[in-house]
Amino acid sequence: MLLSFKNVSLVYKPDHQVLDRVSFTLSDSGFYFLTGPSGAGKSSLLRLIYQAERPTSGDISVFGEALDAQKKAELRRKIGVVFQDFRLIPHLSAWENAALPLRLMGVEETYVKSHSRELLEWVGVGHRLDARPDELSGGEQQRIAIARAVVTKPKLLLADEPTGNVDESTALKLFHLFDELNKLGTAVILATHQSHLVDKFHKPALRLADGRLKRF
Amino acid sequence: MSLPRHLFTPSFRHQHLGRSLAAIVGIMVFIATFAVAAEAVLLTAGYLWGRNLETRLTVEIPAVGDEATLPQAERVRQALSILRAMPQVAQASPVSDGDVTRLLEPWFDEPQLLKALPLPTLIDIERKPGADLSARQVGDALKPAVSDARVNDHGTWTKDIWKLVRGLTILGGMTIALTALALVIAVNLICRTVIATERETISLLHLMGAENIDIARHFQLQATHIVAKAALAGFCAALAIISILLFCTRNIADLSTLQWGHWFGVAFAAALVPACATVIAAVAARFSVMRLIEDFP
Repeated sequence: MLLSFKNVSLVYKPDHQVLDRVSFTLSDSGFYFLTGPSGAGKSSLLRLIYQAERPTSGDISVFGEALDAQKKAELRRKIGVVFQDFRLIPHLSAWENAALPLRLMGVEETYVKSHSRELLEWVGVGHRLDARPDELSGGEQQRIAIARAVVTKPKLLLADEPTGNVDESTALKLFHLFDELNKLGTAVILATHQSHLVDKFHKPALRLADGRLKRF
Repeated sequence: MSLPRHLFTPSFRHQHLGRSLAAIVGIMVFIATFAVAAEAVLLTAGYLWGRNLETRLTVEIPAVGDEATLPQAERVRQALSILRAMPQVAQASPVSDGDVTRLLEPWFDEPQLLKALPLPTLIDIERKPGADLSARQVGDALKPAVSDARVNDHGTWTKDIWKLVRGLTILGGMTIALTALALVIAVNLICRTVIATERETISLLHLMGAENIDIARHFQLQATHIVAKAALAGFCAALAIISILLFCTRNIADLSTLQWGHWFGVAFAAALVPACATVIAAVAARFSVMRLIEDFP
């Protein structure tokens, strides 16, 4: 089992319920959309998966194991995360940004270089290896962020509005890239409010509204 | 784990934080090197002087007037034979007139006046190692032959010197301890500032599965790199100034009792300062970062 939420609620303040008894199970390494309007709780749900938040109540299991029983750092090494604002380190080059997770894992430097460069080629920014993020377009930056998220071959890739800062044609290309990654064996949960793009892909979607799961 | 060496470099450069840290460390190492070198010289010289003086007594036989029954030379000869016969005495020898004059010269403007004065005869006594021989015992032994002889035990006033040396040592130790404390505080402050600037990067590293210890270790390496260079610079500057001061004061402070071996010891003690400063800064950086990022998401 990939992911399971059982009656998960998240409350920031007594009057601010972000998620309300959300329950669902994702059993295989598929491609899932997480949709809903802004403020529906999509990002919070993703944050719960990678342990940036703790649920107020309910149980979460990731990779078949209760979240509480897993060591945060170990779990995060199995999950790649892509953000809307890319979160690249501005003074590192494209390939250094992409290689960061490998270096954290203590992988041999020759492999780090070759693999991260290979991956950047694959995501389509092989010609900008030494460029700094501020020298790159939004689409290129997001491709590097995706490369960074999958460089360690994680079991699960979480993407939080990854196309929010790019134009529509780039967004479509990025969606195809996520689809390709999924075909290579990585489970993908992609949160987006761009329902017209979701409709172009025939993938299961979890729809959140006002903190509740409306459709799955 | 080998994160890029320059991962946090811009933050250290931001508002010259790295340079500020280097300047603080350089100044502190400079001060601490001074304190350690002075303390080492003081302790070594004090020990050597004390060891030399503690075994010695001086007998002063006042110059006699014309009315004396025995001439001065005879009084000195009798005193010497009594002293040399004492089992606790290793050696007793008169201080030459030339040496006595040299000792008194600094106190007289007119050398002729010194020659006209009736100077006492001094006898230098060296106790046998471990022998119990007080000034009073020597005085009592000399009384029948030279009743007006005065005996000075150098051990008595070396005790006062030792008190002074001990006081200065404590002062030096406190200076070193305060310098180390200030260094820890400075490193902590710089770490706080850099971490505040790098909050997002650290959160990102956490998201990638970095442990706090990984981040702290990387931070420590960067801080150590800056501190080691600054500490070395501070040490070299202090060594240069100390050498100049020793050269300029060679006529005032007589440190001729210190041999090459002693100077090597002093230099070694001083050389520990930059090494210790680097270790302290590294440990302080590591623990500061560990504490500061423990609540990061």
